[in-house]
Amino acid sequence: MSLLARLLRREDLHSLAAPYALDALDSGERYRFEKHLRTCDSCAAEVRALSEDAARLAWSTAAPPPAAMRDRVLAAVRATPQEPSRMPEHTPQLPPHVWGTQPPPSRTRAPRERRPFFVPLATATAAAALVVASLFAVQARQTQDKLDAAQSQSREINHVLAAPDARAATGRDNQGRSIGVVASASEGLAIVTLSGYEQPPGGRVHQLWQMRPHAQPRSLGLFGQGDTPLVATGLDKSATSLAVTVEPDGGSPQPTSQPIVQLALKSVGFGE
Amino acid sequence: MRVEADELLVLVAGGDQKAFEELYGLVAGPVFGLVRRVVRDPAQSEEVAQEVLLELWRSAAKFDPGRGSALSWILTVAHRRAVDRVRSARAAVDREQREALRAHHPAFDQVTEEVEAGLEREWVRRCLDRLTTLQRQSVTLAYYDGYTYREVAERLSLPLGTVKTRMRDGLTQLRKCLGGVA
Repeated sequence: MSLLARLLRREDLHSLAAPYALDALDSGERYRFEKHLRTCDSCAAEVRALSEDAARLAWSTAAPPPAAMRDRVLAAVRATPQEPSRMPEHTPQLPPHVWGTQPPPSRTRAPRERRPFFVPLATATAAAALVVASLFAVQARQTQDKLDAAQSQSREINHVLAAPDARAATGRDNQGRSIGVVASASEGLAIVTLSGYEQPPGGRVHQLWQMRPHAQPRSLGLFGQGDTPLVATGLDKSATSLAVTVEPDGGSPQPTSQPIVQLALKSVGFGE
Repeated sequence: MRVEADELLVLVAGGDQKAFEELYGLVAGPVFGLVRRVVRDPAQSEEVAQEVLLELWRSAAKFDPGRGSALSWILTVAHRRAVDRVRSARAAVDREQREALRAHHPAFDQVTEEVEAGLEREWVRRCLDRLTTLQRQSVTLAYYDGYTYREVAERLSLPLGTVKTRMRDGLTQLRKCLGGVA
């Protein structure tokens, strides 16, 4: 590239500082600009100043959050390890690759490079954190008489989390309710949580199905009360998605209604 | 307030849950309000805000006090998430619906009317009012509505370069106007 072309390109990138501070770049341009930021000290200072300005716009929007949000976040915090590894030993530890923040164990990690002053966060990471936090929150609430069942479930959960190919994913319906999964394709295991769904009326239940192309849905079990996770075993590697339907008490051999939510399994290593 | 948030975030990075509770008290309102302003849908806003707040706990160690205030960092993270969510939601809406929405979109300056009472709000509103119309529209369509500068240019029928300049000028004018208010 000629010097002039390079200067023009640089000039062009500089002009993106304000749109960047306002988050008004699409992901491709954002990436290019952040790459440029790492080598441009004067831009870093400018972006920092413009970002402080943009953040002040946020102050006119402050609003009291729903009261229940505080309990949920604080419960999740109690069950969620921090990055890097600064947490005390007794906190449930997760293999880092489950969070989506690090490559799988076999790959070596590139040396850490200098980053812009705020770091974009991987959406998958927070999604995984919420799924896993809800698992541990449920475990913490088990009463003594349920302890045996809980312990066996806890073993399954730890089994999934320890699998080298364990991955987490979440999906949501158009009303913001969500389904979360931590799964291992090699073990054929998945832990599935529903959040935001009321218990169906009239004794009906939420039933989980494995979906495969050219195959009938296969029941993976019924969700219990509240947000208790469902441990699904024997998942086929070729499964493409999970689906949840509302069924009569005791469940059905085949779904009798449209799924209320579905989650693709490709990102967690299934569907081959 | 700003200093307090900075100090708390450093404690949070060390695993201090009490400090996180205090930090939550300081930032949950701004984070939730900002996310709701951009995302609009209440259930989705709550979900995004929750993810952001939990991410603060997990990634507090990434905060570098030498490179900006904690509050700005937190709101930047929250805004980025909110914008990503609203854009993926928009991408899901098919073209026809989008056109219909566009036709019914209220006046661009609605934000200044939606802003409620309060000293901070009052100042921001006053300073936004002092911008030129194009500066204000460029800044608010991007920041409050989550549009890219290309989309803003399209909506306002302006060349890309003009929108970039208006955004920069708008932010710099805001800085001057808000200068004395912390």
